[in-house]
Amino acid sequence: MATTPHPDARIGEVVEAASTAFTAECYTLYGAPALGALVRVGDPAVYGVVYSVTTAALDPGRRVAARGATEPDEASVYRNNPQIARLLATHLQALVVGYNGGGTVVQRLPAAPPHIHAFVHCCDDADLRAFTETLGYLHLLSTAAVPAIDEVIAANVRLAAEARVDADGFRRRAARALAEELASDVARLNAILRSIA
Amino acid sequence: MGLDLYRTAAQIDAAVASADIGAGRDRRVDAVLTALRRADPVELNARVEAAQGLLAFLPAEAVEPPGTVFDAPPPPVDFRVLAVDGSHIDVNRHLPLRCALINIGGCRLTYGAAAAAELFSHPRLRTSDEDMYLQDPSSPSQRQAVEGGLMGLVRTVEEALALADAVEAGDDAGLPTLALMDGTLVLWELGGESPPRGRYPDYVRAQLLGEGLLAALDRIRNVAHRPEQTAVASYVSLPNSAEVVNLLRLALCDLNPVGHCQTHCRALAPGLRRCDAAHGLTDREIFERTLAPGQRSAVFASRSPVARDAYGPHRVHFFYVNVGEEIARVEVPEWVAEDSGLLSLTHALVVDNARRGAGYPVALQEAHEQAVVTGADREAFRNMIERALEGRGLPVYTSQKQRSKRRPWV
Repeated sequence: MATTPHPDARIGEVVEAASTAFTAECYTLYGAPALGALVRVGDPAVYGVVYSVTTAALDPGRRVAARGATEPDEASVYRNNPQIARLLATHLQALVVGYNGGGTVVQRLPAAPPHIHAFVHCCDDADLRAFTETLGYLHLLSTAAVPAIDEVIAANVRLAAEARVDADGFRRRAARALAEELASDVARLNAILRSIA
Repeated sequence: MGLDLYRTAAQIDAAVASADIGAGRDRRVDAVLTALRRADPVELNARVEAAQGLLAFLPAEAVEPPGTVFDAPPPPVDFRVLAVDGSHIDVNRHLPLRCALINIGGCRLTYGAAAAAELFSHPRLRTSDEDMYLQDPSSPSQRQAVEGGLMGLVRTVEEALALADAVEAGDDAGLPTLALMDGTLVLWELGGESPPRGRYPDYVRAQLLGEGLLAALDRIRNVAHRPEQTAVASYVSLPNSAEVVNLLRLALCDLNPVGHCQTHCRALAPGLRRCDAAHGLTDREIFERTLAPGQRSAVFASRSPVARDAYGPHRVHFFYVNVGEEIARVEVPEWVAEDSGLLSLTHALVVDNARRGAGYPVALQEAHEQAVVTGADREAFRNMIERALEGRGLPVYTSQKQRSKRRPWV
């Protein structure tokens, strides 16, 4: 699928918001950032970590039917049924991990969730480095009751490490922070650490 | 308590058991099929003309030999299918505001190298006098309220105008295009100029046809004959019409003079007349037996009074086509039927688009999805009106009957 990124890295807008998490519809089909990516919403910014991406029919009353039995490849299914791309939508769900309070990053829940229709931006490497300078947000992530959260944490740490020259240094720092959070659950901690390395 | 489904089911069983769907019907279909295969279009049309005014049914006019079938031509490599559909919320006297809503939905699907899709819907609230009444320009006291059946006709006209808009807006693509509407092109309720007259006065006909449907078809015709052709058609799924069967009655009639129903058969109940092998059969049942998947029937022309008297170059022609899952009826204006390129394009793209839509043209499916106004939407519409009135401090009222329906109590 052709996906044209928005010039200011705007990827979608919030369609459902709560204090701890929000859902955004992406402007392009399959146009969500990677699992674990940091996104920024609204102004002043609320930060979120992508913990789930789904693509499904826009209209919940219409089931998607298989159409490719006689098509040579996946691309031709879309080419020969051009309406499909208009009837599907990609949504991302993100856990709120902080906000911009008076010009500085605060790694706590904001007083109010982002607005519906607030624009969602993908954070660039500089944003990501700035946000992950401190790791208090790992507490919010590690205590979130969402499926496969440990995979999300590991993915987030890997992305933040790759955005730095000293990737290994960041991994070590993150490992220490996680060890404090998960001191009582060594099996869980080990699983995350194996996934980060 | 709602409908008693147990008691209803028993009645349905009894009705199905006595329905005319057995071997007797098959034999009658065979008789009509034989007549179809032998049919000479010139002779049949001449018989209809000779019996004009004395026929007890409405026959089609044969344009091509009725028994011929045509394979679907291959679709072009790059092409476009546009479709428009409509839905409406009619005037409801239980609402505190006199208004109606027409929602026109549609899509523009481009196939081939530059595959793309655009979907659109245009809801329009109608509250002004111009929207709520069709006015006689020569006599201001004469007007017809746009509601009920007339609202349905106005909606059809709005659909046609939206289709013309969509055709014009996409005219820059340089692609062969089929513009599709749902249902019939024949606004038969408007009647002909000579008897039988329709149920609406002439100024209503003029506005809905001359300034409405036919004006829209004119606009599409204006772009139709560019090198990349544009055809327009209307698609009827599970058609119930019997105009071809009625034409074949004139082949089954052996009375002299032929087709003078009022003279020969006036006293006979339906089922007892010479031509009654055709009684109760639809064109669809006949063409189910002759058309292989993809094939279309011969083209016929409608003799309905309104199409005959008022449609001019857009006189409605039609053919039946086997789209794989069913026999559909495709109606086209005369200028499409008479242009072999446009007719082939219509045939090819209807078959292709129905194949993509598993038996129903995908463009019409999507237009419908854009247009549909659900029960929940209707409720939301009512709430929005009430909230808007309350916001301005205006009285919000409803009938006690409506209130009782909305809040059933024990």
